[in-house]
Amino acid sequence: MTPLLKVQNVGKTYGKGANTFTALSNISFEVAKGEFVGVMGPSGAGKSTLLNVLATIDTPTTGEIIIEDTNLARMKDAELADFRRDNLGFIFQDYNLLDSLTVRENIVLPLAIAKMPTKAINARVDRIAELFGISELLNKYPYQISGGQKQRTASSRALVTEPKLIFADEPTGALDSKSATDLLESLSDLNQSQAATIMMVTHDAFAASFCQRILFIQDGQLSKEIQRGTLTRKQFFQEILQVLSSIGGGVNDVI
Amino acid sequence: MTLFSLARKNIQRNLSNYFLYIASMVFSIVIYFTFVTLKYNDDLSALKQSSQQIKGLMSASSVVLLFFIVIFMAYSNSFFMKKRKKEVALYSLLGVRKQKIGLMLFFENLVIGLVSLVFGILLGFFMSQGLLMILVRLMGYEVVGSLTFSMEALINTTGIFTLLFLFTSLQGYRVIYQFKLIDLFHADKQGEQIPRASLVAALLGTVFIAFGYYTAASDMFTSKIWRFFTVLGTPLMVIGVTIAGTYLLFHSVSVFVLTALKKATSWSWKGLNLIGVSQLLYRIRANAKSLSIIAILSATTITAGGGVFGMYYNAEASVRQMLPNTFMWKGETVEFSQKDVLFNEALAVKNLRVDNEFSFFEYTLLKESDYNRLAKLQGKDKELHIADGSTVLLDAAFDERFSHDFTGEDFKLQNGDSFHVEKMYTESVLNFIAAGTVLVVNDQEFKATDGDEIMMQVVGLDNDLKQQDVSKDIYQQLSTEQQESFSSVPQSYEDSLATVGALLFVGSFLGLVFLAATGSIIYFKILTEAEEDQAKYAILNKIGVNSKQILKTVAGQVAVIFSAPLIVGIAHSVFALLAFSQLFNMNITKPVILWMIAYSAIYFIYYIFTVRSFYKIVRQGN
Repeated sequence: MTPLLKVQNVGKTYGKGANTFTALSNISFEVAKGEFVGVMGPSGAGKSTLLNVLATIDTPTTGEIIIEDTNLARMKDAELADFRRDNLGFIFQDYNLLDSLTVRENIVLPLAIAKMPTKAINARVDRIAELFGISELLNKYPYQISGGQKQRTASSRALVTEPKLIFADEPTGALDSKSATDLLESLSDLNQSQAATIMMVTHDAFAASFCQRILFIQDGQLSKEIQRGTLTRKQFFQEILQVLSSIGGGVNDVI
Repeated sequence: MTLFSLARKNIQRNLSNYFLYIASMVFSIVIYFTFVTLKYNDDLSALKQSSQQIKGLMSASSVVLLFFIVIFMAYSNSFFMKKRKKEVALYSLLGVRKQKIGLMLFFENLVIGLVSLVFGILLGFFMSQGLLMILVRLMGYEVVGSLTFSMEALINTTGIFTLLFLFTSLQGYRVIYQFKLIDLFHADKQGEQIPRASLVAALLGTVFIAFGYYTAASDMFTSKIWRFFTVLGTPLMVIGVTIAGTYLLFHSVSVFVLTALKKATSWSWKGLNLIGVSQLLYRIRANAKSLSIIAILSATTITAGGGVFGMYYNAEASVRQMLPNTFMWKGETVEFSQKDVLFNEALAVKNLRVDNEFSFFEYTLLKESDYNRLAKLQGKDKELHIADGSTVLLDAAFDERFSHDFTGEDFKLQNGDSFHVEKMYTESVLNFIAAGTVLVVNDQEFKATDGDEIMMQVVGLDNDLKQQDVSKDIYQQLSTEQQESFSSVPQSYEDSLATVGALLFVGSFLGLVFLAATGSIIYFKILTEAEEDQAKYAILNKIGVNSKQILKTVAGQVAVIFSAPLIVGIAHSVFALLAFSQLFNMNITKPVILWMIAYSAIYFIYYIFTVRSFYKIVRQGN
C-alpha cells in the first residue's frame, strides 16, 4: 500500500547567517491511510514546527513532503491554501473558533468555502455534529459553550470536509480530563469506523495512548518510534511513560 | 538613558505607528492655519466692501472648524492611546512608576506637537496662498496674490494648538492613571453578544425617515405639515426626525437586514459570505453611533455644498433672467466706448400706477412695436400682435407660488381703464430693475393710455459679463437719480459672484474638511477592528482560505461600512436639496450631481486606502 503521507529529509532552520537555529533536521517517516499517529517530545523539541510544516502553514527549509501524489514543497502560497481547504483538517489547542459565528456556522464554514450546495452542507453538518454529540448546541455561539464543547465543535469543523489527513495540535491541552477523554474517544472511533488518518501532536502520555503509533522527537530529530500493536491502552500508556523517562523529557507532564 | 531620549527613541522606532497620528495632527493644523490666514489676509479685505461679509462668514466658519478639529483630534488621540495601552502596561509591569510613564508620554506628545506644528504651519502657508488664488478667482476678480505670511494667523494657530496639545496630553495622563495592570492579562473581549433585531425600532426608523423625506419633498406652501409646524419649525422637525431615523436605521434596520441575509443560507453559505455578513452583524451595534454621525455629516456637507454650488452655477442664469439687456437706465443716452456694442436703443415707455386691494404697484407700459424690435435684438423669436384692449404681461420675477396669475383676467388701471391679459411671460425684454413688470400693448392703445412718458436707454454688448469698465464709465456720467434706475449685467454678476463665490469657497473648504475627517474616522475605526480581527483571519487562512478570497471579503465588508453612510447621506441631501431648490425656485440638478460625484470620488479614495491597510494588517496575522 502506498503511504498517504511521505516525509523525506525534512529540515527547518530559522534565522540567517550566524544566528541560525535548527528546529528540525533530517526527519523522514511515512504515514499510511487510516493510521492514528502521535508525535511526542519535550518542549522545544520541534513537535509543533513539524506539524506546522506538514500542515503547510509553515514551509520546510529542506526536504520533501508528499501527500498522496502532491509534493507540497513545490507549491505556492495560494495553491497551498486551496490544498489545505481540499485535503487537510485542523484541530488546535485553543480551538480557533470564530466567535461571531454560531456552532453550526463554524462547522459550515469550510464547506461553504469549498462552495458545496446548501442541502448537502446541512446533511453533513448534522451527521458530524451527532458523531461528536453536539447536535443540541448547533445554534449557540462559542461564548455560550464549555471548552470541551468548543473543542468538539473545532473537531467537527476539521472533519466535516472529510479530509484525507487530520492534524491535531495538543487538542486536549486546554481541556479537563473528562472532556479530554471524550474527545479522544471520539477521534479514536472516527479513526476506526471511517478509517480517518489522524496525526496528533501532544506532550500528554494519556492522550498519546489513544494512538496506534508514536514518533518521539528530540532536539529536532526523530529519536524513537513505538507501535501499540496488540497492547491494551493501559499497557501502551505504561510503555509511553517508560520511553519518555528514558529520553528525559515530559516526565513532569505525566498525570 | 534619560527619559527624554527614551521618548525620542520611542518615536523613532515606532515611526509607522506614529505616522498616522502625526499626519492627522498636521492635517488639522494645516486646515486651521490656512483658514485663519485667509481670514486675516489684507489682499482679500482690500478687494471690496462685500468682503466684510466674507470676513464675518469666515469668522463664523472658523468656529465651526475649530469645533470639528477638537473632535477630530480627540478621536485620533484616543485611537493612538488605545494602540499604546499594551506598551504602557509593559512599562508598568517592568516596574516603571506611573508618574514616569506619564512624564514620558507628555514629552512624547510635546515632541509630536512641535513637529506637527512646524510642518503644519509651513504646509498651511503654501496651501493658503494656493487657496487664496482660487478664492479670488471664484469671486470673479483678477488674481492679485502676493506671498504674505500672517503673524496674526501664526499666533492664533500656535496658541490654540498649544491648548489642544495640553488637553490631549492630559487625556493621555488620564489613561495611564485609570489603567490597571490586570487589564493587560484580560483577553480583548469575552465574546460580544450578537445583536437581535427589534422590529419596533426598525419600523420606527423607517417611518421616521419616510416622514422626514415626505415632508421635505412636499410643497412647503400648500402642505398641511408645513402649515402645522410653521416654516421655521418644519425644517427643525424634519432634521430631528431624520437624525433619529438614521440612528434607528443603523441600529436596528441594519441588524434586521443582515440577520435576514445570514438566514438565507443559499446565499450566505457560499464562500466567505458567511464571514462577511457575520462580521458586519457582530460590529454593527457598536458602530451604529459612528455610522449615523458620518451619515449626518455627509448629508450636511453634500447639502451645503450642493446648495452653494447650485447657487454659484445659477448666478449667471438668474442675472440674465432679471436683466435681459446689458445696461438699462432712465433718461438721456451718454457717451461710451462703442466696442462690442450689439444694440443701443432709446425707447419711450409709460409709467403706470395700479391700485390693488392691498397696495399700489408701478408698472411699465411698452409699445408692441418696441417689444418686437427689442425681442429681435435680444435674439428672441417672439413677435407679438396684440388686439385692442388686450395686453401681454411680462414678469421676470413671476413665481407660480407667490405671484398672482393674471392670464385671462382684466387688468385694471388707476384711471379706470382696463386691459384683458392675453398671456403672461416670465421672460421680459426690459431689465427688471427700474422697469419692473411690463405691460405690452399695441401702439394705438399705448398712445391712448395716460401715464408719465419716460425715456429708457437699453444697451446690449457682446461678451457682456466682462464689460465692467463700460459699466463704470456709464454709471459715472449719470445723475444721482438716474444712477438709481441703472442696471448692469456685469455689475450684478460681479456682486452675486463675490457673495456666492465666497460662499462656495467656504462651503467647499469646510466640506472638504468634513469629508477628510469623516473619512479618517472610518479609517481609524476599521483599522482598530482589523487589529482585533487579525486572529480570525489567521484561522481562516489555516483552514484553507487563500489570500485572494480574504481580500475579497475584506473589500466587501469595508465597502458596506463605507457605502452605507454615504448612501444614506446622499439620500438625505437629495431631499434637503429638493426643499432648497423649491425655496429658491432654482434648477440645481446638474451642479448637485456634479458635487455628489466629486464627493463620492474622494470618499472612494479613502475606501481604497482603508481596504489596503486592512488587508495588510490581516496578512500580518499569518
